Amino acid sequence: MTVPLTAYLVVGALLFAIGVYTVVAQRGAVMVLMGIEVILNAIGLNLIAFWRFVAPADYSAQIFTIFIITIGAVEMAVGLGIMMLLYRQRQSVQVDDYAELRG
Amino acid sequence: MNAANIAEIIAFALSAFIAVAGALGMATTMSMFRSGIFLMASFMGVAGLFVLLSADLLGLLQIMMYIGGMLVMILFMVLFMQDPGGAMMADMPDMMTPVGKIFSLGLKQNDPTGTGPEEEGEGRDGDDDNMGDMDMSDMAMVTPAYRWAVWAALLTAGGLVALLLLRPAWPLASGALDPRSAERIGSLLMDKYMVGFEGAGFLILIGIVGAVFMARTGRHGAKADRDSRSAIEDTPPEIEADPLTPLAGDIGQTGPGGAA
Amino acid sequence: MGVAEEIGFVLLALLGGALLTAGLERLLGTAERGPARPLAVARATALPNADRWLLPAGPISGLAGVLFGTVVIPFGPTLIGRDLGIGVFYFIVVIDFVVLGVALNGWGASTSDAVESCYRIVAQLVSYIVPLGLAYVGAIMMARSLVTTTIVDAQSGLWFIVLQPLGFALYLVTGLMQSYRAPFLEAFSDRIGGGVLGVVGGGPALVWRVTLSGLLFLVAAMGAILFLGGWSGPFLPPPVWMALKTYGLMALMLSLGHLVRPLSTAEMLALSWKILTPAGLVNVLIVGILILLHIGPA
Repeated sequence: MTVPLTAYLVVGALLFAIGVYTVVAQRGAVMVLMGIEVILNAIGLNLIAFWRFVAPADYSAQIFTIFIITIGAVEMAVGLGIMMLLYRQRQSVQVDDYAELRG
Repeated sequence: MNAANIAEIIAFALSAFIAVAGALGMATTMSMFRSGIFLMASFMGVAGLFVLLSADLLGLLQIMMYIGGMLVMILFMVLFMQDPGGAMMADMPDMMTPVGKIFSLGLKQNDPTGTGPEEEGEGRDGDDDNMGDMDMSDMAMVTPAYRWAVWAALLTAGGLVALLLLRPAWPLASGALDPRSAERIGSLLMDKYMVGFEGAGFLILIGIVGAVFMARTGRHGAKADRDSRSAIEDTPPEIEADPLTPLAGDIGQTGPGGAA
Repeated sequence: MGVAEEIGFVLLALLGGALLTAGLERLLGTAERGPARPLAVARATALPNADRWLLPAGPISGLAGVLFGTVVIPFGPTLIGRDLGIGVFYFIVVIDFVVLGVALNGWGASTSDAVESCYRIVAQLVSYIVPLGLAYVGAIMMARSLVTTTIVDAQSGLWFIVLQPLGFALYLVTGLMQSYRAPFLEAFSDRIGGGVLGVVGGGPALVWRVTLSGLLFLVAAMGAILFLGGWSGPFLPPPVWMALKTYGLMALMLSLGHLVRPLSTAEMLALSWKILTPAGLVNVLIVGILILLHIGPA
């Protein structure tokens, strides 16, 4: 492998940072969900990079990544369902309008 | 440095660029639809990285789940947002961040002749100047906290990369990889991780049932349907020989029983 | 084969397949509706609101999907683009790029008909993907491998169509859904002016023609591999058998499809979730029982 482990981990770190920005800064609920997916993706990349370089004989890391992808998909589906219910109540999906849960 | 190494480095650089640029595009572009497409592109970049790391089943699984899932989610998003195509925002370049301007190139601005796409929840004014009564800050895609978010993201990225570069080396192992990864994963799933596998299946089932249940309209129908029904009942019966009646003929066809 | 030879072979196979598919559809008379209708290649369309990045990406994505899909179809014991270890799974994934291409083209064109087409095609994707996967799973389980050549070899005793008739019927229906032929024409129907195909002209129209014909060709070829024993047969050379089985299956699919009236998108979704998915699950159960009883390949 000519590309070192650190290179993959740096890509993962950059994706994680962009995901954090998206979750905090975006207004639409769907955009926040997309940011969460980017974060999960970065985590999966880290897992597979470590699997390949540190423990390639044990396939457990790939199993965990499959679970992460699966659970990310389910969470997105449920999140969209909740968003649809909120839209029916208030005709808005901007997260700023749901501030009464805070504090 | 033989050809295989160079090919590997080029493939890595390309996939990494697509992954990071896609994520950045998703976070900053002004069009919702493009946001979703950029996210899909980012996932394909990561899938390319997975394939480079010899986890080919996982790379393809990533592509399959996310093309199917992301596409449906994008289309959902379009139904609920104002200005999903970004046409309105393309007219207001001073509301975009500098990076956002790059990723919003090529968006067509509002076409006043009214042949543009249909948008839910947003009437077509056909006229760019008719925005005086809307509060400008409502149009932003980002919350007021976004400067904090940028700093948080930059600090996170900087901190993680510094930790990576300064950390002593991990114990790297290199062994021959089993080319039949699908069989290995399959047997592990049925063998050692059976409980997790069944649990994930159960979780998906609960998610499906829950999402469908939440998305159902109640016994009395959705508010929009109720409003349209009461609006129809409030209109007076049509007058015979009214020259305008054929033009209004569409209203009578959305009868009770809801959306066509 | 070297990389250049692989690429050449794939291009040749796809273009040849698409050409013969178009000829077959013309011959059977099923080419008036849907994506097989004659396209006005010389028309220039003016799209005032086109999204300049997304619109060109549509045909490229569609063509890439079909090209990548042709890589794992074997036309003979060694006549294959690249025999991937995850062959059939790769095929399913890569064909989704065609749907993505239509969706991008539809949204990018920004006319109400094209956007409607984009939505309908995604709804059709949602309705066919689960039953199609279950039909594939039956054949994969019995062959115990995802590699296409291994699946063909596992049918050297008995073709899978004999052992899994329900899976074959399921594949016929979902294959028609996947290739947008009758009765699942709604994404390109005349009531929306042909949808995406009504707003393309010139080069992109030709690309879509190749893509959609190639898609039907690939679906029939994969059906021949999974259920009809691929390139195996007594006297004729393997590629000829493969072509015969592919086009025979295609003729069967097209003729059966034209016996049914076109279904609307809601009816497609209802059909998928109420009939096809339970049938797929029953199929997997039956195949599992057959395997446990040691019927079929070892």
